[in-house]
Amino acid sequence: MAQVPARVKFALCGLAILVVACAIGPMLQRDPSAIGDVLAQRFRSPLDTDARGSFHLFGTDAFGRDVLARLLLAGRLSLLVGLVGALLSGVVGTALGALAGWRAGWIDVVITAASDTLQAIPRLVLLLACAALWRPGIPTLVTVLALTGWMGVARLVRAEVLGLTARDFVLAARTLGSSSSRMLVRHVIPNAIAPALVATTLGIGNAILLESGLSFLGLGVQPPSPSWGNMIAGGREHLVTAPWIALAPGLAVVITVTAATLIGDWAQERAAGKTPD
Amino acid sequence: MAHLLRRSGIALALLWLVCTLTFVLVHAAPGDAALLLLPPEADAATLARLRAELGLDAPLAQQYLQWLGNIARGDLGTSLASGRPVAELIAEALPVSLGLGAASLLVTVLAGVAIGSAQARRPGSRLDTALTILSTTAYSAPTFWLSLACVALVTVGAAALGVPPAFRLPAFALRDPGVLNASAAPLDVMRHAVLPVLVLAITGAAGVARFARSAIVEAARSDYRRTALAKGVTRNLAWSRHVVRVAWPSVAALIALSVPGTVAGSVFVEGVFAWPGMGKLLLGAVAQRDHPLILSVTLLYATVVIATNLLTDLVLPRLDPRRRSS
Repeated sequence: MAQVPARVKFALCGLAILVVACAIGPMLQRDPSAIGDVLAQRFRSPLDTDARGSFHLFGTDAFGRDVLARLLLAGRLSLLVGLVGALLSGVVGTALGALAGWRAGWIDVVITAASDTLQAIPRLVLLLACAALWRPGIPTLVTVLALTGWMGVARLVRAEVLGLTARDFVLAARTLGSSSSRMLVRHVIPNAIAPALVATTLGIGNAILLESGLSFLGLGVQPPSPSWGNMIAGGREHLVTAPWIALAPGLAVVITVTAATLIGDWAQERAAGKTPD
Repeated sequence: MAHLLRRSGIALALLWLVCTLTFVLVHAAPGDAALLLLPPEADAATLARLRAELGLDAPLAQQYLQWLGNIARGDLGTSLASGRPVAELIAEALPVSLGLGAASLLVTVLAGVAIGSAQARRPGSRLDTALTILSTTAYSAPTFWLSLACVALVTVGAAALGVPPAFRLPAFALRDPGVLNASAAPLDVMRHAVLPVLVLAITGAAGVARFARSAIVEAARSDYRRTALAKGVTRNLAWSRHVVRVAWPSVAALIALSVPGTVAGSVFVEGVFAWPGMGKLLLGAVAQRDHPLILSVTLLYATVVIATNLLTDLVLPRLDPRRRSS
């Protein structure tokens, strides 16, 4: 077991704190979307205490809602959409990559062509086109994230499977009379899964970033459901008078994605057999 | 020569597949152009007439062939929202994006390579760790948020710091899109370009630095560099001949491959700063569900990616003998 570098520990702690806060934070709050005395409550700056004695770490927004409370509530959706989107693309990528490598022939040609075609279009552009053509919302968002993110994983798994087919233990399984599907599921995929896991981990940050972008444009999570992206969009018109409304949720995105990337990078270095420095 | 032909053939096939994919996407999506053009209260007869006029009632195979033929002739159709030819809209927006992209790519490459090699000189040092965390953070920041943060900095921030208005930067960029084509105020255009170029360069340079660092570190740890040092080559010579010479083709490849990323990354930046380029065109088309425009812009982005990949494939073996296949 190699030493875990300090920055990875730091990233793990930060991510854990954020996830726990998003999970239980909104339960401890009075209804975060509750609207009290709007005129007295709105545009409170960060670290301000209002007339009712409530403390607002990140201030309040145009409707007098506490920005931190909404940010934690939004985190549930943003984290979940990013995680599910990345996991689904990992699953699709592993399945298609394994199929292409194992079956070869025309199946391989079709899957590789599909993957190359999708990779020729910048992912953001593809996402925007799909989000514009279909009805925006969470199901569309997750589906589109999965369908536009599987190619990298598929390519890795395919190469890995191609290398494994010639190995002795696969040959041994074949000699013992294993069926093709059993060999694939029991012997090949478990040995090809490590790079897929790493790529999927690295994909989580990307998926969260893309979700926030689409929601910022009004093509992802729809208000009144808060997500980090649509909170930033909501704060945009008050940017000059109350910059914290738009900037605080972005900070949450930056922290999450930085942590996910640091962890993913480390996992990749480990998997590549390099000693992390 | 055979290699060139083969690669070009693959690129063309890929382009055809992208065309097909975009066609399938549009026809699989609910609703069509006729529904979007007419008010919701339009009756079925009007709808049918418009469909016939737009050629949407023809069999799908015929529509597909027609659309492929039009693209091959360079006819990208007419924008639903503005009624103007799509080719004309793209011809206006493309140079604006290319200018922004070229400027930010230049800063990206210079800053990214400088940071990456500074890190690689002493991997694991405090400077290296600090820069790694910094570049990962910059790489992880959504560009639209970074743009807003910069705007807040030069407006509220500058006012709070007491910077005189003459030295503050314009925040929401060009109010009049025509100003970019007027040769009258190049200085004004440059002033407006500072923030968009900065935001694009920050995220771009972070990506390049991350990659350049690992490419250089890998070359610096190689056995051949150690051998060279053992044979008495000076450190500087070993660095230029055995590290930089080995690492730079992969960095060059990365820069070529980051061109489409820069182009796509500019979508948000152009949106926030009202920069009238391809990104803004795409965002407008998406907001208005302008199918022909969305398709053409998507196709154009794909063409850029495929062309860059082809060029990298052909040029890279000339830079790096290890990539020449036997």
